[in-house]
Amino acid sequence: MSWTRRSRLTPDRVAGTVLVLLALFAPLIFSEYWVATLLTQMLFLGIVAASLIFLSAYGGMVSLAQTAIYGVAGFALGNLTTNGNTKGLNLGWAEFPGIVVALGVALIVALVFGALSSRSYGIYFLMITLVLSVIANLFFGQVTSVSGFGGISGIPIPEFLSRTAHPDRLYFATLAVALIVYVALRYVARTPFGLTLQGIRDDPVRMSSLGYNVTLHRMLAFTFAGFIAAIGGILFVWWNAQIAPSTIGLSATIDVLVIAVIGGLYRLEGAWLGALVFVVINNYAPDIGFISERFHTLIGVIFLVIVLVSPNGLIGLWERVTAGRRRAIPGDITQERGSAEPTPVG
Amino acid sequence: MHAVRGPGRGVFWLALFIAVIALVAAGCGSSGDNNTSTSGNASTAAKSPTTAATPAAPLDTPDPQPAVAPRSGGSGTPIKLAIMSECKGAFGAFDNQNMAGAVSALSQFAGAKPKDPNNPRAGFTGGAIGDHPIKLVGVGCGDDSSDTAIKEVRRLMEQLDADVMVGPLSGDESIAVANYAKDHPDKTFVDGSAGAQDTTLKVQAPNFFRFNGDGAQWNAGLGDIAYNKLGWKTAAVVADDYSFAWTSAAGFIAEFCAAGGQVTKRVFPPLNTTDYSSYAQQMPTDVDGTFVAVGGAGLIPFLKAYEQAKGPIDAKKFMGNLFWGTPGQFEQLGPRVAGAYIGGAGTAGDLDTPAAQDYATNIIGKWFKSFKPGGDAASQAPSTFTYGYYLNTWGLIKGLEEVKGDISDQSKLQAALAKVELPAPYGTVKLDANRQAIFTVYDQQLYMNNGKLAVKTVSAIPNVDQTFGGTFSATTPAPGRNSPGCEKRDLPWLGKSTPVKVVGAS
Repeated sequence: MSWTRRSRLTPDRVAGTVLVLLALFAPLIFSEYWVATLLTQMLFLGIVAASLIFLSAYGGMVSLAQTAIYGVAGFALGNLTTNGNTKGLNLGWAEFPGIVVALGVALIVALVFGALSSRSYGIYFLMITLVLSVIANLFFGQVTSVSGFGGISGIPIPEFLSRTAHPDRLYFATLAVALIVYVALRYVARTPFGLTLQGIRDDPVRMSSLGYNVTLHRMLAFTFAGFIAAIGGILFVWWNAQIAPSTIGLSATIDVLVIAVIGGLYRLEGAWLGALVFVVINNYAPDIGFISERFHTLIGVIFLVIVLVSPNGLIGLWERVTAGRRRAIPGDITQERGSAEPTPVG
Repeated sequence: MHAVRGPGRGVFWLALFIAVIALVAAGCGSSGDNNTSTSGNASTAAKSPTTAATPAAPLDTPDPQPAVAPRSGGSGTPIKLAIMSECKGAFGAFDNQNMAGAVSALSQFAGAKPKDPNNPRAGFTGGAIGDHPIKLVGVGCGDDSSDTAIKEVRRLMEQLDADVMVGPLSGDESIAVANYAKDHPDKTFVDGSAGAQDTTLKVQAPNFFRFNGDGAQWNAGLGDIAYNKLGWKTAAVVADDYSFAWTSAAGFIAEFCAAGGQVTKRVFPPLNTTDYSSYAQQMPTDVDGTFVAVGGAGLIPFLKAYEQAKGPIDAKKFMGNLFWGTPGQFEQLGPRVAGAYIGGAGTAGDLDTPAAQDYATNIIGKWFKSFKPGGDAASQAPSTFTYGYYLNTWGLIKGLEEVKGDISDQSKLQAALAKVELPAPYGTVKLDANRQAIFTVYDQQLYMNNGKLAVKTVSAIPNVDQTFGGTFSATTPAPGRNSPGCEKRDLPWLGKSTPVKVVGAS
């Protein structure tokens, strides 16, 4: 992509800039509750969904294990940094070594999950990752030395990020991490590794014939995406101060998939868009009398409508609007941009 | 825009299909847990003549508490109240009992009035402390998981900006909420009916107060009865695999072992198990007795699975915790358990004192007529859940009165709450240094009364504290699958439980 093309004022870039500016000035625009609770939650859920979209869009792998890896990081940090008032190991470490080790543990788990699932494709990959997710959920529910049913409460957050220090700091930290994750995922997609991954997505047999180690690439992509999900897990436990097996239960696993599909499974930006819709509905639905207990039914209906109207999610709608009334045909975006932009999940 | 295409489109549609199925299933399941029971008429509040089977106990017997006049406050800043109840999961059936307890306390002591005498969840109108009206900003809906509890508490305290909260119902929820409280010193929390030991003994949040007991306290006296009265030398324990049931089992184990008994087997089915057959198979039959701390929606399925696996239940060889006597549910246990001793929750609906009977008929029975799961309101007064929410809300009201409803500085409210003593229906309740109740515990027995299962209170142990006579402390391992261990030791109340005078028993 040439510099001149890159610097063009496309609707995407205008919208992206406006949204980033909005996010930066959110504490001036929105209430403290919106910023510290809803938008922060949107950002870290977006990170987890982005890890799924990365796998799906660039690797052709729809993974249901992202929530499990996110949970592994959260539980690891909880066990490492709590100090005696809760379940788990209560090792009482400081936050920084806690994060490093928690991310390390999650990385190893992601590597193992990746090794177990990377030889599978399609439905088999989906089912294997679902099984791994359920195993992680049951593991933390049953092994009381690291969690048990009630999970780990009172997980400390670094003092300078805490709500008592300043209500917006965790939000800004999460925003910064989300932006870094976004840039990193886009960067990786453009590296030789990312391009190879896209080649594998489109035709693994041909890539294998060309001499690429398909399984290794898929495994490494899964591990990398797992690492991104783990970062989301760390931010989650700081935000929530608590993690329980139900945090990574089947419902939560499906929630991340729903976020990714609502946003659009083939563009990274969709992750945060889907997360925003999900978080807002999740928060306000209980206050609406006839919905209250039927939140999942409501989100299911929205999900169905979006999928039927725009199989590529809200991002797909946006692209349809910005591309004019012309109905897009397959291959459009790649041709228009003339770049290594992702093609659909395919 | 791209259509979904290519070799992986099957995966995409499969993912969609799974997600849709899961969402529909979740949507259907969310409202289906609320029908545990039918009608019921506990042994409580019985109007039959007094039968002084035993001499009156030298227990403290507070006077009945009259209702205050209806009031709705003046121009003072409203006190924003949230109630964290439970409407899903193993204890979702007790939502109305929670709300009835809280709303009755607000009506009796703060001049409120229930909106609907047949629907406690509808909330209340009016109510004030001094010049400050009480405003109910929201009612939370828990599902026994700490995760949902925190999500709901965030909604109540941060989005709806409540100042004070009553709740939650269940053990692990309360540990999470107490930890949340620690991070929010500008808000004040009182428990609902949750009975995990860690909530107060370990977490020790300065702004979390619990006027109900923990699960171990509630079972004080049972181990003594098992060893010394029933002659059990060995016992097995089965309990839900979570904080409250571990605490509940810990009370029995600590006391039974202190008296000299041995617990030879501990089985822990996960909470919300539906098929208990594999756990029932693990239960030994070569023990003198079994203590059951499986609660909520799991109790009856467990007992049925046990019967399938091991044959009929001999009530003299079984003991249960509070769920064996919770109005609205225990009636379904049927004659199979008549004769079994059970722990209450510091509750004794048949206690022959003016305050106990007044609480059922003139407080809960006055403000409410009928609600699920037990039907008649007064008969559900001695439920752990009704009583727990009642006590805690009342405690909060007393604290608020001390500061005349002015909560601009919540540390003053918290200081006042720590000193509150409640002249409660079943005996005075006061708080220890960890803001945990010290109160009288009653042991009860199930029996058949005119063809229906009923509860009879048999003895009382005054002033039971959370340390269980020094057995538990902030530094001892939290109750769990393997703790406490089984050790013979001294317990202050062993062999010293007091007989009580009850109404309605034969």
